[in-house]
Amino acid sequence: MAITRRTFLKASGAAGSTAALASLLAARPKTLTAAPPAAAAGPAEEWVPTTCWIGKQDCGMLARRISGRVVKFEGHPEHPLNRGTLCPKGVAQIMAVYDPHRVKTPLIRTSPKGQPGTWRPATWDEALGLVAEKIREVRVRDRRLLLWQKGRSKAEAFYDDAFVKASGATKLHHGAFCSDAGYRACEYTIGPHGVLHPDFRHCRFLLAWGWNITNAGGNKLCWITWPQQLVQARERGLKVVHIDPRLRGAGPFADEWLPVRPGTDLALAQAFAHVLIAEGYVDREYLVRHTNAPFLVGEDGFFVRAGGKEQVWDPVTRRPRPFDAPGPPPALEGEYAVGGTRARPAFQVFKDHLAGATPEWAAEICGVPAESIRRVAVQLGREAMIGSTVVLDGMTLPYRPVGAMLYHVAQQELGFQMVRAVLHVFMLLGAVEAVGGPRIDLTWKPHANFEKLDRITIKDPPYNVWLQDSQFFPINSNNSSIVARVLQDPAKYGVDYVPEVMVVHMANPVLSFGSPADILEGFKRITFIAVIDPWLSETADLLADVVLPAATVEKYEGPSKASDQYVDGVALRIPPMAPLFQSRGEIDIYLDLCERAGFLYGPGGYLDELNKALKLRDEHRLPLDRKPAVREIFDRWARSEGIAEGVAYFEKKGVKVKGPVKAAKIYGFAQDPPFDGLRHRLYGESLLRYREQMKARGVPELYWRDYTPLPAWRPPTMWSSPPSYDLTLISFKMIEFKQARASQIPLLAELAPEQRLDINPATARARGIGDGDWVWVESHNAVTGQTRRIRVRARLTEGIRPDVVGMPHHYGKRNHPWTRGQGPASSELFFTGEGYVANTADQSFLVRVRVIRA
Amino acid sequence: MARYGMVIDLDRCTGCRACMEACKVENNTPEATFWMYVFRFEEGQFPNTHQWYLPRPCMHCDNAPCVKVCPVGARFKREDGLVATDTDRCIGCRYCEVACPYGVNYFNWKSPKKAYYLDWNDPDLQPVTNGDSPPYRNPDLDGRYGPEGRRTAGGGHAKGVIEKCTFCVHRVERGLKPACVVNCPLFALHFGDLDDPESEVSQLLRRKPHFRLLEEVGTRPRVYYTGGNPPVAATRQIEPVKGRV
Amino acid sequence: MAVKPLTLPWYGVGRWSGGWYAAAALALALVALGAVAYSLQLSQGEVVTGLRNVGTMRGATWGLYVAFLVYFVGVSFAGISTAALIRLLDLRPLRAVARMAEVLTVIALLLGALSVIADVGRPLRALVYLPTYARPMSPFFGTFTLVIAGYLYASLVYLYLDGRRDAALCAQRTSGRLARFYRLWAAGFRDTAEARRRHERTTFWLSLAILPLLVTAHSTLGVVFGLQGGRPGWHSALQAPGFVVLAGISGVGHLIVLAALVRWLLDERERLDLTVFRWLGNILLVLTLVYLYFTVVELLTATYAADEHETRVTMAVLTGPYAPVFWVSAGALVAAVALLGRQFLTGRYGVGLTALAGVLVNAAAVGKRYLIVVPSQTHGTLLPYGDGAYLPTWVELAVIAGLLGLGAFLFMVFMKVFPIIEVPEPSEGGR
Ligand SMILES: Nc1nc2c(c(=O)[nH]1)N[C@H]1C(S)=C(S)[C@@H](COP(=O)(O)OP(=O)(O)OC[C@H]3O[C@@H](n4cnc5c(=O)[nH]c(N)nc54)[C@H](O)[C@@H]3O)O[C@H]1N2
Ligand SMILES: Nc1nc2c(c(=O)[nH]1)N[C@H]1C(S)=C(S)[C@@H](COP(=O)(O)OP(=O)(O)OC[C@H]3O[C@@H](n4cnc5c(=O)[nH]c(N)nc54)[C@H](O)[C@@H]3O)O[C@H]1N2
Ligand code: SF4
Ligand code: SF4
Ligand code: SF4
Ligand code: SF4
Ligand code: SF4
Ligand SMILES: [Mo]
Repeated sequence: MAITRRTFLKASGAAGSTAALASLLAARPKTLTAAPPAAAAGPAEEWVPTTCWIGKQDCGMLARRISGRVVKFEGHPEHPLNRGTLCPKGVAQIMAVYDPHRVKTPLIRTSPKGQPGTWRPATWDEALGLVAEKIREVRVRDRRLLLWQKGRSKAEAFYDDAFVKASGATKLHHGAFCSDAGYRACEYTIGPHGVLHPDFRHCRFLLAWGWNITNAGGNKLCWITWPQQLVQARERGLKVVHIDPRLRGAGPFADEWLPVRPGTDLALAQAFAHVLIAEGYVDREYLVRHTNAPFLVGEDGFFVRAGGKEQVWDPVTRRPRPFDAPGPPPALEGEYAVGGTRARPAFQVFKDHLAGATPEWAAEICGVPAESIRRVAVQLGREAMIGSTVVLDGMTLPYRPVGAMLYHVAQQELGFQMVRAVLHVFMLLGAVEAVGGPRIDLTWKPHANFEKLDRITIKDPPYNVWLQDSQFFPINSNNSSIVARVLQDPAKYGVDYVPEVMVVHMANPVLSFGSPADILEGFKRITFIAVIDPWLSETADLLADVVLPAATVEKYEGPSKASDQYVDGVALRIPPMAPLFQSRGEIDIYLDLCERAGFLYGPGGYLDELNKALKLRDEHRLPLDRKPAVREIFDRWARSEGIAEGVAYFEKKGVKVKGPVKAAKIYGFAQDPPFDGLRHRLYGESLLRYREQMKARGVPELYWRDYTPLPAWRPPTMWSSPPSYDLTLISFKMIEFKQARASQIPLLAELAPEQRLDINPATARARGIGDGDWVWVESHNAVTGQTRRIRVRARLTEGIRPDVVGMPHHYGKRNHPWTRGQGPASSELFFTGEGYVANTADQSFLVRVRVIRA
Repeated sequence: MARYGMVIDLDRCTGCRACMEACKVENNTPEATFWMYVFRFEEGQFPNTHQWYLPRPCMHCDNAPCVKVCPVGARFKREDGLVATDTDRCIGCRYCEVACPYGVNYFNWKSPKKAYYLDWNDPDLQPVTNGDSPPYRNPDLDGRYGPEGRRTAGGGHAKGVIEKCTFCVHRVERGLKPACVVNCPLFALHFGDLDDPESEVSQLLRRKPHFRLLEEVGTRPRVYYTGGNPPVAATRQIEPVKGRV
Repeated sequence: MAVKPLTLPWYGVGRWSGGWYAAAALALALVALGAVAYSLQLSQGEVVTGLRNVGTMRGATWGLYVAFLVYFVGVSFAGISTAALIRLLDLRPLRAVARMAEVLTVIALLLGALSVIADVGRPLRALVYLPTYARPMSPFFGTFTLVIAGYLYASLVYLYLDGRRDAALCAQRTSGRLARFYRLWAAGFRDTAEARRRHERTTFWLSLAILPLLVTAHSTLGVVFGLQGGRPGWHSALQAPGFVVLAGISGVGHLIVLAALVRWLLDERERLDLTVFRWLGNILLVLTLVYLYFTVVELLTATYAADEHETRVTMAVLTGPYAPVFWVSAGALVAAVALLGRQFLTGRYGVGLTALAGVLVNAAAVGKRYLIVVPSQTHGTLLPYGDGAYLPTWVELAVIAGLLGLGAFLFMVFMKVFPIIEVPEPSEGGR
C-alpha cells in the first residue's frame, strides 16, 4: 500500500513527457538532483495516494504518512487534472481532517426545529435504526413522501444514485443553483451535457464570459486544470476578453475587459451575432449541414412540414423539399411562398430577429461602449478563420480557434436563453465542437435531453414536488428553493402531497441555495430529516432530526474521472487513515441503512443498483444476498474495468492514466456522420410549442414569456424594483473557499476572515462610505415588494462596475470557532420564485440592492 | 557548490495563495505567519483597471541587512546562498526585522504551541495524534542542517524568537525543491542553482526580462521576477491578509 | 587656619525622614507593578505588548522599550559629560552638581540596559549570548552593548575615584556598618593636600578619557537607525548629531531638575546657588536651539527633497496618527526655549522656571525618541503593505514605570548613604 516519494518522481517524469502540459512539466522536475537514497526521509515515511476531499474534481493527492499519521497532502504528480499541485484548499484540508469540531458521533435532536439545535449523542445502531424505520414506513405508504437532497457532489455519484433508485426517493440536487440553465441550453441546442469551455490546445481567442479564472471552476471542473491550460495557451499567444462586471476573476489575464451590466449578457451576445452577420462572418456550410438554420419557418413561427418532415428551400428547383432529401445546398435566406403561407428559412428569421440588435442598441443595455462590442465581434470573426481546416490524427477537421468559457454565470433570470444566444454566436462561426472551438463536455457525448427537452408533454396537475413536466416549467432543472415554495403552498402549484422524510447528503441548502428564508420555511414542513455531513452544517443545525457523521478524506470513494480533455484517466479516493472519531464513509452508511430499511438485498435492491450504477460485468457483480465490504465493491469494479490487481492497483498508484484522448473521441465534427447526424437547434421550435400550450392553460405570462424560439431580450424583472435600489448585487466564488464547505478550515479562514462587499470607490464616495466601513445591503423583490438586508464591511475596488456591488459566496457558517464572526451569507439577499428564477426554474443570483452606511 | 535562487514568473501567477498554504503546512508556521506572502495589487481607475499578483518569500539577499545587524550571529548567510536563522541562537531582539526592507520576518509573539489555530488537546484526538501539536507536525524540521549543523529548518520552534522563509533548507538538502515551488498550480515558481548556466532558473532568466524587488536598496536579492514590473507608488493592495495573533 | 569641624549629616546623609520613606515606598510600588507586568510578558510572550510584526501584521516590532532605551542612554550621556567637562574646564560653580551628574549617569545606564532586557524575546539568552557571540558589525546590540558595558564600567570607576575623598572624610566621622563601607570606598585615601592634588590629576585624565568614548557611544546609537537604508525616516545623515544633541538636552534637563530637587530637599542654597542654574539653563538653551535647527533642516529635506516613502513617514508624523506626539514635543521644546531665553535676555534667573524647562525638554525628548523609533516601521514599509499602527499596552507602560521607579529609588538611597554634593575643600569650606 505504501510507496516512496521517489517512485512518483520517476513516474511523474514519464507522465509529464507524454502530457499536454509537457512544456510546463518538463520545466518542472520536482527534484533539484536525484535525491541520495539516504536523504529520502526515514523508514517511518510512506506516501499513500488519495484524492482531494474538498473540491469537485477530486484532484489526485499523495498523503505523506509518518509512522502511520498523515502530516501532509501533496498533489499527485501523475494525475492529469492537477499534475502534482494543489490549490490552497487542497493544501489546507489536512487541518479539516483532524478538526476536533467535526461531528464525532451520530446526533439526535433534543430541541425544536427551525432554530439551532441541542443534541444527544447516539450510537450508530440507534441513529440508523431511527432513520431506517422512517424510510421503511413512508416507502410502504407512498414513495413520493421520501425526498433525497444532494449538493455539489464529489467523485462519481454512483452510490447515492443507487440509493435513490433502490429507495424510490425523489431526488433533489444542486444543479439549479450551479449552472443548469446552461446545461439545459446546451443539451437542447447542441446535445452534450455541460456548459462551455474552450479547446485550450488550439484556441487563440477566448471569451472568458463570467469565468472567474483565478478563483473558480469554469465548465465542470473545480479549478487547477483550466488555469493550467489557460496559462499554457497564453504562452502560445491566446488572447482573453473578460466579459464580467468584475475584473478580479481574470485579474492580469484579461487582455480586454468588457464590464457588462449584470443580467444583460443576452443582449451582448445578440450584438456580437448582429455584427458577425453584418460583416459576413458566417459559416454557411455548417449552418446548412448541421443545424436547422435552413428549415422553413411559417408565419405562425412553426416549421413548415410535409409528411411530418421539416422542409427546406431548394434554390434550383425553387420549391421546398424535405430537409434530408438530396439536392443542392438549400437557401438560408429569403422569403418564399409555400403552400399558401410565406415562409422564411430559420436563418432568415434569425437575421431579421437580430436586425435591431446593433452594438449601439446593446451598448445602451449592457453599459459597455458600442465600439468595444463591435471591435471584439470583428476580432472574433477574423480569428475564427472560417473555412480553415486542420489535420488531427489523420482526420481533416474544421479549425476555429475561438472559444468561450462560461458556467455559473448561466444562473440569471434569462440564463437559458442567454446561453443559447452565446451558442448562436459560435454557431454562426461554425466553431461549436470544431478544433479550437467552444466545447460542452470533455468528449463528444450527446445527452438524452437533446431529444427529451424537444418532446416534453406538459402534464395536468397534480405535479410532483419539483413540478416535473408542469405547465410552469416545462423544461425544469429541479430547484430546491422552488420545492420549498411549493411545500409552503402545495395547492397553488397543483401539488397534492407534502413529503415527510428527507435525507440530505453533502448539501447545505440553508446556506448555499438561493433564498435561505424560503428553504427554511418550506423544509420545516418535512417532518423527519436526516443529514449526512462531517460537520454540523446550518441545514443540520436548523432542520435535522438526526445527523450522521460522514468521514472526510478518510474513506473509499469514486471512481472519479481524471480527464483534462486531452489525457484521460480514472482515480479512486483511498482512505489514507481510518475514519476519525465515529465517522463513517457514506457507502458504509448506505449499506447499513438499506439493510435496516429492507432494500439492500435482491433484485432492485441497493446491491443490485450498485451493480448497474458501476456497470459491473457479470463475473464481477456483487452477490445480491450478502453485504460486501466497501473495499470489495471497488475491487470488483476495478477488475470489471480490466485492472487485474483490482483495487490494490489504486491503493498503490491512486490514478490510472489511460493516456492521450483521440481527436475522434473529442470533437463533434470528428464523428461519422459529424455530431452523429444531430442537427443543432438554431431555431427552438419546441420552445414556441411549450409557450403556446402554457398560454392555452392560462399560465401567467411571467412563466412563458421566455419560451421563445429565438432568444429575446427583455429587461430582467429585478429592474422594476424602485430606483432607490440603484445597484445590482452579484456573487462569486473565492479561491480560498469551496461553497460553504471549507470556510471553517482555520488555515483558509485566516486568509479571508470575513464577508465583504466589493464596491467601486466612486459609488462608495457618493454614499460617504470608506474602505472597511460597515454598510447595510438591502435587497428588494420586484414581484412581492419584500426586502432583505444584511450588514457587512465595504471593500473599495476599481475592479467593479460603479452600478454593481459584489459579495462572495462561502460565508454565513456559524458552528465553528473559526466561522463565528465571518458574517452573513450573500444568499440571504437573493430571492427565489417568480422573477428570480429562469423559465427553466433555474435560480438567479442577481438582485437589486441599495447600500447605506451602517 | 550550488548557489540557490528563486525565479517567480508573474505572467503565470493567479494569486491563488496556495504557495502560502503549502509553506505553512510544510514548515508548521503558527497563526498569522506568512513566510510566503502573495500580494494582490490594483492600479488605475475603472474601467482602466489593472490587477496583478506578487508572491513574496524571503529574498535571501546576498547583501542582507538582516545578517549584518544580528548581534549574535543567529541570522547568517550560507555558502549556498540561503539566509538562515538559528532559532537556538536567536535572542529575539528583532533587529533583523527592522533592518529588512521586505517585511518577511515573523516573531513568535506567543508560544507556537498556543498558536496552531485549534486546540489539539481534544481527548478524542489523542489516540491518533498522541499529543502532537499540530497533528501535521513535520518531523524533518527538528533536524540540524548545513555544515554548521544548526537548527535552521521550519517554524514554530520557540516563543520569543524570530523566524522566516528558510528556502525549505530541510527539503533542499534532501535534493527536493521548496514546498511552495513544487506545489504552485501554475508552475509560476522556479528554484535552482543560479550559478549553473544550464539550470532551469538560469535559462528562464536568459529567456525573459526580469527584475528584483527594491534593487535600489542594494540588498542584492536572490529572488528574481519575470513578467510584469515592480509595484509603484500608485499600487494599491487589495484583499490583504493580516492574520490575528 | 583652622578647619571648621564638619559634623554628620552632610547633605542629608543618614537622615531617614518619614517623607523619604513615603517617597521610597511609592517608588518601590512602581517597581513592583513593573515586575508584575514583566512576569506576565515572560509567561505569555510579547503578545501582551502592543508590538507586532512589520509587514503583513502592519505593526511596529520596536516600540516603547526601545524608545526609552534610547532616552535613558541619552540622559546618561549628559550626566557624565557635564561631570567630565566640569573637571576639564574646572567650572568651579558647577562642581556642586558633578556628583549628581555621575550618579545620574550610572542609574540611567542601568535602566537602559534593563530596557534592552525588557525588549528582547529571550532575556536569559540575551544576557549570555550578547557578550559571548557579540558581533562588532552590528551597530545596536553589538557595538552598543559593548559601549554600554564599557561605559557603565568607566562611569562607575569615575564615580568611585571621584568619591574617594568624601568617603575618607565620612569614614573619619562615622562608625558602624556605614563606616566600613566608607573605608572600603576611600581605600586608604588620606585627605592631605598632596593626596588631593593626586586625586585632582587622576580625575582630570579620567574625564579626558571618557569624552571620546561617549561621543562614539551616542553616534553609534544614532547610526543604529541612520544606517538602515530600508527604513525611510531613519536613513539620515543628521541622525547621529541629532542623537547626541537630544541626548545632551535630556541629560542637562534632568540634571537641572535633580539639582532643583536637592536644593529644595536639603535647602542647600549656598552650594546650589542661582549661578548653577544660570549655567545649566544657558547650556540647555544652546543645545535646544541647535536641536530645533536640526529638526527644521530634517523636516525640510524630508518634505521637499525626499522620495514618496520619506514623505509618507514625515506626513504620518506631521499630520497623521503621530501628529499629537510630534506637536506636543515640539511645543514643549519651544516653550523651554522661551522660558530659558527670557531668563537669558533679562538676566533674571529663577530655579523654578529653569526646572520647569528641564521637565519640558525631557517630556519632549521622550516624545521625540518615540517618533524616531515607531513611525518608520508603521509607515515606512517600502513594499505596499499599507499603513500600520502601534499603541503600547498597559504592560509596556507598567514596565517603563517600574524602571523609572527603580531609578528614583536608587537615587534616593544614594542620597542617604553618600554626600550627593561633593564635600567642599577646606580652603573654600571656611565661612
Ligand atoms: N450566493 C451564492 N450562492 C451559491 C453560489 C454562488 O456562487 N453564490 N454557488 C452555487 C453553486 S455553483 C453550487 S454548486 C451550490 C453548492 O451548494 P452545496 O452543494 O450545498 O455546497 P455546500 O454549501 O458546500 O454544502 C455541502 C455540504 O456537504 C458537506 N460535505 C462536505 N464534504 C462532505 C462529504 O464528504 N460527505 C458528506 N456527506 N457531506 C459533505 C459540507 O459540510 C456542507 O455542509 O452553491 C450555490 N450557492
Ligand atoms: N475556489 C472555488 N472554486 C470553485 C468553487 C468554489 O466554491 N470555490 N465552486 C465550484 C463550482 S460548484 C462551480 S459551479 C464553479 C463556478 O465557476 P465560475 O462560474 O467560473 O465562477 P463563479 O464565481 O461561480 O462565477 C461567477 C462569475 O461570474 C461573474 N458574474 C456575476 N454576474 C454576472 C453577469 O450577470 N454577467 C457576467 N458576464 N458575469 C457575471 C462574477 O463576477 C464571477 O466572476 O466553480 C467551481 N470551483
Ligand atoms: S481544485 Fe478543487 S479538487 Fe483540486 S485541490 Fe483544489 S479544491 Fe481540491
Ligand atoms: S501558488 Fe503559484 S499561482 Fe498561486 S499565488 Fe503562489 S505563485 Fe501564484
Ligand atoms: S529579505 Fe530581509 S530577511 Fe530576507 S535576506 Fe533579505 S533582508 Fe534578510
Ligand atoms: S531577532 Fe534573532 S535573528 Fe534577528 S537579529 Fe535578533 S538575534 Fe538575530
Ligand atoms: S521556500 Fe519554503 S520556506 Fe520559503 S516560502 Fe517557500 S515554502 Fe516557505
Ligand atoms: Mo456549482
